[in-house]
Amino acid sequence: MFVFALAVVFKLVSIQFVQGDKYRALADKRTVKDFDIPANRGNVYSADGSLLATSIPKYDIRIDAIQAKDATFEKYINDLADSLHVYKGKPASYYKNVIRRARKNKNRYFLLARNISYSDYIRMRNFPLLNLGAIKGGLIVEQTTRREHPMGGIAERTIGYERQDEDGNFTRPGIDGAFGVKYLQGTNGKRRKQRIGNGQWKPITDFDQVEPKDGYDVYTTIDVNIQDIAHHSLLKQLEIYQADHGCVVVMDVKTGEIKAISNLGRNKKGHYYERLNYAVGESHEPGSTFKVMALMAALEDKVIDTSTVVDTKKGRKRFYGRDITDSGNGFGEISAARALEVSSNIGLATIIDEHYSKQPEKFLTRLQAWGLNKTLGVAIIGEGKPDIPKPGAVNWSRNALPSMAYGYNLRMTPLQTLAFYNAIANDGELIKPRFLKSVKSFDKDIEVFEKEVLVEKICSNQTLNEIQDILKNVVIRGTGQRMYSETFSMAGKTGTARTDYANAEEWRKDRKYVSSFAGYFPADNPKYSCIVVIHKPSTKVGYYGADVTGPVFKRIAQKIYTDTPIIDEIEELDFNTKLVNEDFESYFVNAQKYKTLMPSVVGMPAMDAIALLENLQIDIKVRLTGSGVVKKQSIAKHQKLQTNQTIILEAS
Amino acid sequence: MIASSHSADQKVYEIAKLTNEVKELRSAFVDKRGQLMQLKKESFVEAEMKEKGIGISLNPPTKIIVKSQRQEQ
Repeated sequence: MFVFALAVVFKLVSIQFVQGDKYRALADKRTVKDFDIPANRGNVYSADGSLLATSIPKYDIRIDAIQAKDATFEKYINDLADSLHVYKGKPASYYKNVIRRARKNKNRYFLLARNISYSDYIRMRNFPLLNLGAIKGGLIVEQTTRREHPMGGIAERTIGYERQDEDGNFTRPGIDGAFGVKYLQGTNGKRRKQRIGNGQWKPITDFDQVEPKDGYDVYTTIDVNIQDIAHHSLLKQLEIYQADHGCVVVMDVKTGEIKAISNLGRNKKGHYYERLNYAVGESHEPGSTFKVMALMAALEDKVIDTSTVVDTKKGRKRFYGRDITDSGNGFGEISAARALEVSSNIGLATIIDEHYSKQPEKFLTRLQAWGLNKTLGVAIIGEGKPDIPKPGAVNWSRNALPSMAYGYNLRMTPLQTLAFYNAIANDGELIKPRFLKSVKSFDKDIEVFEKEVLVEKICSNQTLNEIQDILKNVVIRGTGQRMYSETFSMAGKTGTARTDYANAEEWRKDRKYVSSFAGYFPADNPKYSCIVVIHKPSTKVGYYGADVTGPVFKRIAQKIYTDTPIIDEIEELDFNTKLVNEDFESYFVNAQKYKTLMPSVVGMPAMDAIALLENLQIDIKVRLTGSGVVKKQSIAKHQKLQTNQTIILEAS
Repeated sequence: MIASSHSADQKVYEIAKLTNEVKELRSAFVDKRGQLMQLKKESFVEAEMKEKGIGISLNPPTKIIVKSQRQEQ
């Protein structure tokens, strides 16, 4: 007995003093805990303040299938199944079966709906059985915070998100991704809390150990209306041409703000959705849209002028053992300007090869001065790198230069091409495309983004005017002719480039093209520049730039045209002048005064005189000779008039 | 001491409840706003109006501004 008592005392002492610290710490841990106070992630807004991305709670609805009593369960199960049928579509009997089975299997955590919105949650909460709550009905609601895009799939890739995989790696596409850490995320706070009843925790101190800082709101330059049109017209063309993927970007000429950006790719089922940010990330051979840069370089170096004649032969010409061809049977001898209008590969290759083959550096220096060999440095992560080969590079050969003249053997992203076209529209000022207007915390500006000029002036005004004229003519009488509209003007350049052509034989069997259109509108005083690129349209339907991508460009141009009212100014007709007022007054006085006596109408306009006479209280006839102002009246003034008397007025 | 501790506890419950309510209302707001934005989209309106034979005009509206003139003296 004593030995037992000794053992107990020994254990007591050992717990109290030897292991005491460990257990006290353990006890603290169970009742006191440091809580993270999550910072609210900022919102992403469009230019007009529409929400593009925000964090909202989403709900998972489950049911504890054995919580309800038998009687209650049987009473409501049919109604619940009916409600679920109306809500989710499968037959009521299906829901009845699965819930019954869950009850039989003692499933206390049966999923009814996942990731539903608040309004759906409210609706489900009122379903029979579920409306009895957790204790009687077995309703289990779990709430999670998710990033939502209220605009749906539109511009999803550009608005972006932040996602963490199991290994803790982040993927951060788009604006949300690019500015997540810097602006949107905020910093979590910390607060020490003590456990109280009901699974709740009470703060120990009345201050936070670390205050949470909410993320800032990011205002983008996206215009919801233009974005909507761009998205849907691109989608329509992709569907018509069963293309692999495509993108469209609309940029404000003066400020470089991206007004719309849409990237759509096809999945296995043939549906299109925002997959990758092709416009920013995908650098590819631009094809004919690059001819503009080539011709501009030649014009600016004054090695040619727009009227220099170039022989494009009959649609086929040999350069260093390789044929370059034009569509159709060639254009013969045409001017340099016309060569661009009709997008002659031979024309451009000839011009560039003739004047630069001995000094390719001169041509390349020009391209470098325009920044075409560098990324634009846009905020979105993963901008594609342009590749413009130099002599000595792996992809340099004698053929490189003529190839580059019409957009092959070099790579650029659609956004880089667009920035250059924008510079043409913006009188030579090359601006960096930007996606952000400002970063705000409530109403307070944290950071405001201004336009960023990359190159002050890309070329002389003369070259600019010449190239602007050519781009205008492309739509009027060149390869973009089919897009021409009488009501509004556009300027730009079509592009139809071969792609995946490494194996010539394979390519001939299954021809793959990249169709594009880059340009701006209106042609004079441009407001927006725009590029449309569609990859691998079905050649059965068509592949020329003007047909595939032109309509998207046109639709956007038209939308902006029809949204801008035509303003007509006219001068107000209803104005007061002294003379008119006096005339009116004297007429009124006469009309009041004369009832049966003849008034004096000499000096009055004939039409007033007739009106005055015919409105007398006595019926008379008035005959007028001539027109204008009354000169003479057949009856002197103040004479009494007889019924049916005829008065003759002479006017001149 | 005990009373005030209890009243503090009550406040914590109250705060938890209100926080939830804020979340719910916020979520309701975003939900409705999202729906509204869908309805406001031109492409949606265009599709809805197609049945009624109403389409998007090819010509922009004309705005007539009447300039008033000063009264002659």
